[in-house]
Amino acid sequence: MFLAKNLGLLAGALASLASVAFVPGNAAAQGAVTKGGTLIYLEQQTHTNLYPPAGGFYPNGGVLNQITDKLTYQNPKTLEIEPWIAESWTVNADATEYTFKLRPGVTFSDGTPVDAAAVAKNFDIYGLGDKALKHPVSEVITNYKGSEVVDPLTVKFFFTKPSVGFLQGTSVIGSGLVSLKTLALPFDALGDATKIIGSGPFVVKSEVLGRELVMEARKDYKWGPAKLAHQGRANLDGIKYVVTPEDSVRIGALLAGQAQIIRQVQAYDEKQVQSKGFVIYAPSTRGINNSVVFRPDNPLVSDIRVRQALLHAVNAKEIVATLFSANYPQAKSIIASTAQGYVDQSAKLTYDPALAAKLLDEAGWTMGPKGLRQKDGKELVLTAYESLPQPQNKETLQLVAQQWAKVGVKLNVLAGDAGSRIADSLDPLKTPVAPAMVGRADPDVIRSQYYPTTRNVLMQKGGISNKVQTFVDDKLNGLLEAIAAETDPAKRIALVGEVQAYVIDQGYTIPIFEEPQAFAASPKVKDFAFEAVGRPAFYTVWLAPK
Amino acid sequence: MIRYLLSRVGQALLVLMVTFSAAFLLLQALPGDAIMIKFMSPDMGLSADQIAEIRAAYGADLPIWERYFQTLANFLTGNFGYSIQAGVPVSQQLQVNLPPTLQLASLGFVAAIILTITIAALSNVVGMAWLRTAIQSMPSLFISVPVFWLGIMLIQVFSFQLGLVSVISPGPVERLILPVLTLAIPISAPLSQILMRNIDEVLAQPFVAVAKAKGASHTWVLWRHVARNAVLPTLTIAGVLFGELLAGAVVTEAVYGLNGLGGLTNQAVGNHDTAVLQAIVVISALAFVSINLVVDLLYPVLDPRLGNKLGIAA
Repeated sequence: MFLAKNLGLLAGALASLASVAFVPGNAAAQGAVTKGGTLIYLEQQTHTNLYPPAGGFYPNGGVLNQITDKLTYQNPKTLEIEPWIAESWTVNADATEYTFKLRPGVTFSDGTPVDAAAVAKNFDIYGLGDKALKHPVSEVITNYKGSEVVDPLTVKFFFTKPSVGFLQGTSVIGSGLVSLKTLALPFDALGDATKIIGSGPFVVKSEVLGRELVMEARKDYKWGPAKLAHQGRANLDGIKYVVTPEDSVRIGALLAGQAQIIRQVQAYDEKQVQSKGFVIYAPSTRGINNSVVFRPDNPLVSDIRVRQALLHAVNAKEIVATLFSANYPQAKSIIASTAQGYVDQSAKLTYDPALAAKLLDEAGWTMGPKGLRQKDGKELVLTAYESLPQPQNKETLQLVAQQWAKVGVKLNVLAGDAGSRIADSLDPLKTPVAPAMVGRADPDVIRSQYYPTTRNVLMQKGGISNKVQTFVDDKLNGLLEAIAAETDPAKRIALVGEVQAYVIDQGYTIPIFEEPQAFAASPKVKDFAFEAVGRPAFYTVWLAPK
Repeated sequence: MIRYLLSRVGQALLVLMVTFSAAFLLLQALPGDAIMIKFMSPDMGLSADQIAEIRAAYGADLPIWERYFQTLANFLTGNFGYSIQAGVPVSQQLQVNLPPTLQLASLGFVAAIILTITIAALSNVVGMAWLRTAIQSMPSLFISVPVFWLGIMLIQVFSFQLGLVSVISPGPVERLILPVLTLAIPISAPLSQILMRNIDEVLAQPFVAVAKAKGASHTWVLWRHVARNAVLPTLTIAGVLFGELLAGAVVTEAVYGLNGLGGLTNQAVGNHDTAVLQAIVVISALAFVSINLVVDLLYPVLDPRLGNKLGIAA
């Protein structure tokens, strides 16, 4: 649905620029693009540290995406990697050497050039970290060895092992290029947006920490993604970000005309916004679906039959219908249907309480007196912490708890403070169940989500937790390693399909819905675009006069 | 007088020191810490070795007494450390957030006092019984209104419906009108309740009857004789409430999207940002201690009898 909308927007922009109205597009119908003006954007949360690899947090990405450029651009429609700051690139056969030719004439907003030396330094820090300055390593760069400045506009990167995801990795929010001055600052100083010097279409002019941020368009910007219809400087003169934590105030301000775009609109507020002629944008995050995962190290869920039973006891359709809207499609696999390598698993994800009861009986969990299943005197009681960034996660988990209660399983949903949440979530005995979700448009996201040394969502042994006793799934890890190393795109996609089937067959994950990023905008806002996983891109946005 | 002042300042410093130490110990006792929350969160995707390096770089695993004296030494030299979550020095956060909270709290406090005096005066001056009852029951109404709801209602009506003030891009005065009102209403409630009760008590005293017998009007007696006597207990409560205002602005700041100590505290608590919390606790303690000192020094000015008891000439 979003694809179609975005296609229309893109076609509209193309048509208006070429003055050939072969597609009846939005912009074409309204005539020329209006330049200038300041957009007021309401963000729910204040940004945290803006070190680019920490840009995954959506409030951070919303800022970084306007002020930094990346080596490559991932087309949000086709998910192809296109030229941006890099004009072209070559990769050796086993994906251990990448060479990028840079576009000439690109400068950071402090006037220094975006040349091979600057790009090399950026990736040296993102790939290896910097102990003295406390910069951590970027999640998307694996097996990084080093860089070489071949000439002022050619840079080469070396890897210790094949690093197939690196090309896409250069396009993500965490790989935004910043000036050497920014990289010379300690990590602890990068929470100040005015210190983040990028080469993007906007520049941070001023900031009141935790309250508002003012950006100005760069007049000399002429290096947008090469294949984008819009070129040159941004249409807007500036953007004002205002942190407005309260939902009703954000929506009220939008409807009253005090702001033009707001982020984070809950599904139950969509109707109110649309009925007044305002527009909901819900770009897909194109990665790991909003799901519930198990930690099989916990003996309660170590039996595959128990996990499968709980999978069939979840009615995802009911959850979506009760809590969400058409912008939150029911999940058909562990990754979104708009993600690369998606294979429909819905036949295995049926809601079947009778089958669930049968599997639990077979596993030896018999119905006890209180309507709670028991085995060897133990009750089947599970615990999960809610995840604050996910939309209505507490309500989602509570609905899952109600559905599981029907087959005699209890799920406790805890809020807890951040410290207890993180500490307990590293201990499978305390949290046999956990909510999960990641946005990233590359098959590598699956490896990153399940592999023990990265996000390790199943809590296998070998990760950062020292509480895990024995659980390791060598077959799964083998498949994940193969995804990371496979250089043939077709074979890599086939492996992604295999992992999806395997994870569902093992009952490791119960996918619930495909998570969008939800924005609402005034009807005056035109050509509002998003990067591949739903972060706003204000470069093309313009405000219609009426 | 000077001896009294010195001993009070000494007491205040002791209170601050105890607060600092208690806050430090309690914050250490919480499960997890800011570094764990920031870097061990799966979103960062870091390995065990990388996290160990970061912990070592921050000195997070040094013995507790070593960290205590380090933090204390830093505080004494005015170095509050860094906010791990926000990635800025705590001093920068305080610089941005302390003045607006002080401004909001002071204005809210002044508005609350005006409201209190108005209510107390009206309830004693208005002639019609039904109106007086209505005015007298206002504090009970004010104290029962949730601040959160009040804030949202004020915004909905005055900003979104009537369009009188902007909450998103307001002017410097405009931005304070609704928040000050939101803060003043619940604060004025206990103050006016106490003031009204004290006025009633003082009015029942024999000297009031004497003044009236001499021909003084009701209003004259109220302002010249009663007010000064009735205001002392109110002042004590006001001192306590003002301290609460500083911390209690959390909800008001969240609803209006204002930056300030309230919002900062809220975030820091959520992320166990110990350095930020430690600074906020010490600053709040400092505010409480100074205000109570001022209140104590004001007593003898209002009531000379107290000055004699303390051995200070009024």
